[in-house]
Amino acid sequence: MEAASISTPPAHHEHHGPPEANKSSSVDAQTLGMLLFIISEIMVFGGFFTAYFFIRVVNGNPWPAEGEELPKIIAGFNTAVLLSSSLTMHWALEAAKHNNRKALKAGMLATLLLGSTFLVVQINEYVHLGFAPYDSAQASIFYGLTGLHGAHVFIGLTLLLFATIRAFRGHFSAEEHRGIEVPGIYWHFVDVMWVIVYASVYLL
Amino acid sequence: MPAQLKAPGWYRAGAFILLGLAFCTGLVTLIRSLYGYTPLIDGEAITIVSMIGVPLFFLVGLGAFDYWFYWASGKDTRPEDHASHGAHSWRDYFKVNTDHKVIGIQYVCTTFFFMFIGGLMAMMVRAELAAPGSQFVDGQDYNSLFSVHASLLIFLFIVPVFAGLANYVLPLMIGAPDMAFPRLNALSFWMLPIAGTLMSISFLMPGGAFASGWTAYAPLSTTQPLGQMCFTIGVQFAGASSIATALNFLVTIITMRAPGMSFWRMPLLVWANFATSLLVVVATPFIAASQFFVLLDRSLGFHFFDATIGAGREGNVIMYQHVFWFYSHPAVYIMMLPGFGIVSEILSVKSRKPIFGYRMMAFSLLAIVLLGFTVWAHHMFVSGMQSWIRVPMMITTAIIAVPTGIKIFSWLGTMWKGVLHLDTPMLFCLGFLTMFTLGGISGVMLAMVPFDIHVSDTYFIVAHIHYVLFGGSLFTIFAGVYYWFPKMTGRMYSQRLGKIHFWATFIFFNATFAPMHVIGIQGMPRRVADYAEQFAGWNMAISVASFLLGLSTLLFLYNMVNSWRNGPEAGSNPYRALTLEWQVSSPPPIFNFDEIPTVVGGPYEYGVPGAQHAILGGRKPEPVAVGAVASAVSDADTETEES
Amino acid sequence: MKNPRDVTRTDVVRMLAVGILASAVGIAIGLSIDWFPTAAATQAGPIDTFYDVLIIISVPVFVLVTTVVLFSVIKFRMRAGEEELDGPPTHGNTRLEVIWTAIPSIMVSILCVYGASVLSEIDAAKADQLQVTAYAQQFAWSFEYTGPNGKKFIANELYVPCAPSGAATGEGAACNGTQVKFDIKAVDVIHSFWIPSMRMKQDAVPGITTHTKVNPNRIGTYSVVCAELCGIGHGIMRSTVHVVTPARYAAWFAAKSAAKTA
Repeated sequence: MEAASISTPPAHHEHHGPPEANKSSSVDAQTLGMLLFIISEIMVFGGFFTAYFFIRVVNGNPWPAEGEELPKIIAGFNTAVLLSSSLTMHWALEAAKHNNRKALKAGMLATLLLGSTFLVVQINEYVHLGFAPYDSAQASIFYGLTGLHGAHVFIGLTLLLFATIRAFRGHFSAEEHRGIEVPGIYWHFVDVMWVIVYASVYLL
Repeated sequence: MPAQLKAPGWYRAGAFILLGLAFCTGLVTLIRSLYGYTPLIDGEAITIVSMIGVPLFFLVGLGAFDYWFYWASGKDTRPEDHASHGAHSWRDYFKVNTDHKVIGIQYVCTTFFFMFIGGLMAMMVRAELAAPGSQFVDGQDYNSLFSVHASLLIFLFIVPVFAGLANYVLPLMIGAPDMAFPRLNALSFWMLPIAGTLMSISFLMPGGAFASGWTAYAPLSTTQPLGQMCFTIGVQFAGASSIATALNFLVTIITMRAPGMSFWRMPLLVWANFATSLLVVVATPFIAASQFFVLLDRSLGFHFFDATIGAGREGNVIMYQHVFWFYSHPAVYIMMLPGFGIVSEILSVKSRKPIFGYRMMAFSLLAIVLLGFTVWAHHMFVSGMQSWIRVPMMITTAIIAVPTGIKIFSWLGTMWKGVLHLDTPMLFCLGFLTMFTLGGISGVMLAMVPFDIHVSDTYFIVAHIHYVLFGGSLFTIFAGVYYWFPKMTGRMYSQRLGKIHFWATFIFFNATFAPMHVIGIQGMPRRVADYAEQFAGWNMAISVASFLLGLSTLLFLYNMVNSWRNGPEAGSNPYRALTLEWQVSSPPPIFNFDEIPTVVGGPYEYGVPGAQHAILGGRKPEPVAVGAVASAVSDADTETEES
Repeated sequence: MKNPRDVTRTDVVRMLAVGILASAVGIAIGLSIDWFPTAAATQAGPIDTFYDVLIIISVPVFVLVTTVVLFSVIKFRMRAGEEELDGPPTHGNTRLEVIWTAIPSIMVSILCVYGASVLSEIDAAKADQLQVTAYAQQFAWSFEYTGPNGKKFIANELYVPCAPSGAATGEGAACNGTQVKFDIKAVDVIHSFWIPSMRMKQDAVPGITTHTKVNPNRIGTYSVVCAELCGIGHGIMRSTVHVVTPARYAAWFAAKSAAKTA
């Protein structure tokens, strides 16, 4: 993956480019950037979890609210789908590291498929829930938290789509596979966050 | 298709704005028809979705995402031709440019533009408050004035101007050719005029501009007309800009320092922006969350803050304040820590002495970052939250005075026995030291719950915040702009005009805000368009002083514009400073350095015989005359710490 | 040749003298300014005294910083011929740094203990209380009293009884009031119930009932002010509290509870 920042000035380059920056850390810039971004994403979820805490614990409201039921089984199935997608993502990365182009493509496609399945199931769940966000504060935060997470699944799938397109166009190798690894880290974050959301919203 | 519409730029951006409007209108109408809502065309819903969507289309049209689209589609990598790097004419400043120096200037100019607008609103506020009763505006318009004033000055001035100054200086200071992510840097900048425009156009909305303060407490903010959404959505763009910049700063500082620049050889400006960026990354998402809730409650009927829906299903009103202040308290440190860095740079150079207690200065920055997350509820002592929270928050708030005090005293120690060059940047730093101390003192007073109960939401608070934000942050911003003006423009500003600007500002600033302490304790609440007769005299005096304060900023504006165009040429290092930005030309070459320098010592070794901060391209830097030590070396307190 | 940059004993004495004098003057001014509105409740005493202590501590801190800045500017400024001169290479002084970390830490600790004790003093509940519900709405206050037989009535202004402690019974007379416990409710948005003369303030929050207590101790008429932005009429959302003799209060109370509810 071409570095998004400084390009190395090739010896034959007639146009005077920038000097190559010194690497003052063994941590790769793109990976560090993604990790820091994930920290800010965790904090967004933190804000929504705070709302959840106030509506459920501080207010003492029943959970779920009267007349609202949460489909734990379907959501549990969805959890399995998402966890599997992390496995396929990991498989794809390992394939890239070993120059296994077929497995890389298969892994990326599988991850996309599983991730999309998650979204479809979730949207279907919304349609059939039987309550709307404006029915209660509990409903509001339920849709808020799961919706926030769904939006992040969408972002993750978009990043993975780019990586998949590039994989099919022949990019990535054992030496240079940050373009798979970095979106993969984001995808794993989305997965872990789902487990937390699922546990605290559906199970607790 | 005409070439102008295919190439990134303003023509294409304009076309995309229209496209975005059409898309958002279509999207809203489609969804409404699917749900069976009537009427099908809902102006308010379209406006709200457009406020989110059209700016994104604008950014695409302008070219902020061009490279990423190309990369995402997997086409072959193009060699970088640096076409969008560096400024060769004034037009480049109005484009998507990846040069941190260009972006820095774009930031400074844009933020000062909004500073003048926000300042103008302050003048209108003071005009209305000069006498009791209603003279120029009614209650709702008045509420809009101070709300937009504060929002513009906080989100469109103080927070981003520091980001802009650091954007310019930081890569130079650490010996890097640019930031880690130059395209993200450009995107960060362009989100800012979007945020400012959104907030400013709120005046055109039916029902007027947003009017629930920059704090936008629910349920007032969730029951307001459309203008409130301009704040709600504008803040999201400003927040995204801020977070992206912070990510960039952190990765740049961690991964791109010149060889030999350990963390303990970094200038304190770098430390300060490192600390600030940590705050931004962790805290800013909370204001995003709070505004998501307001948007959902107000526009989609959610019940996060609804206490009236009925028992067993109601939301929590105070929750807004907890989420909001969890960001907004660290925000005040985001608005001050970079200023601390600027003061360290200027004081050291202008006193010709190392920073006193460099390590503790760095540690105190980190301490403020950590402690800053533990004090938010001191904004909520009378909010009706659980009463047990008050005393712990009083304690944590009081504790923050300690690392802050360490910094003030260390700056005094830096000046002590130095050779003081009392030019404009130095004067603003000295003004900062005294005025920020006053603001900090009123802050410790406010930490004390019994006193805060009486003065919360009064003019005492207004006094405190302006002492720390104006006497604190703004003074350091002026200091930094004057200080780096020659580096950024290659020209020197008028020193005489600068000093007049300082004195006018200092005097009228105090005349404006000092009396507010008194009327606040006396019983005048804040955010009021009208007040009891007993406060009339003081308010008139304050208003007159504030008009003079406003006028004094014109001196600054004139000096900057005139000097940029006609000022005498400044050399690369007019201050004989040691840090790296002064070792290259003014303005610096397009890629900063021909060769990455090697750092061999600390950045503040003034007075240390033979000391060097860095070696550039194999040759020694311009000799910074290490003059005779100012006083006899037998001083008992000369203790050289290993840097 | 005496170096004008040398810090002599005279300089130190001068600085100390200026500092002490400025602090004394500053404290005198600070204590003599009439900061607070007329005190009308026992809560005011500890708070006003606390503020005096804060002034006494704060003035020397500010004077210290300003004196050092001014002294440095006068003594250490660059003079003609010193353009190339640098200062001494002082990097720090551990003892000094420990001192200026320890002393502020001790000072804020003491303030916190003092503050906590003032807080519990002003929060203290008395056995005998007059309970009033304060309703906040856009843009007016109304106060609900419980009449005889549990019947409630609404008043637009507050009346509280206060038994004069001496012979004087007119405006300004000292008195011993029943503790008034306010249950504060908001009808629409957040407001804030503040009686400046009694120093007590508490937000009115939709969905919950908040509380505050005052012990009136001075006959007179005082403002009630809304202290949280609540909309277009926030600036005019005021009311009045009348601290009156028990006899006067009883008369008002009887009239109000007998009157037909509006």
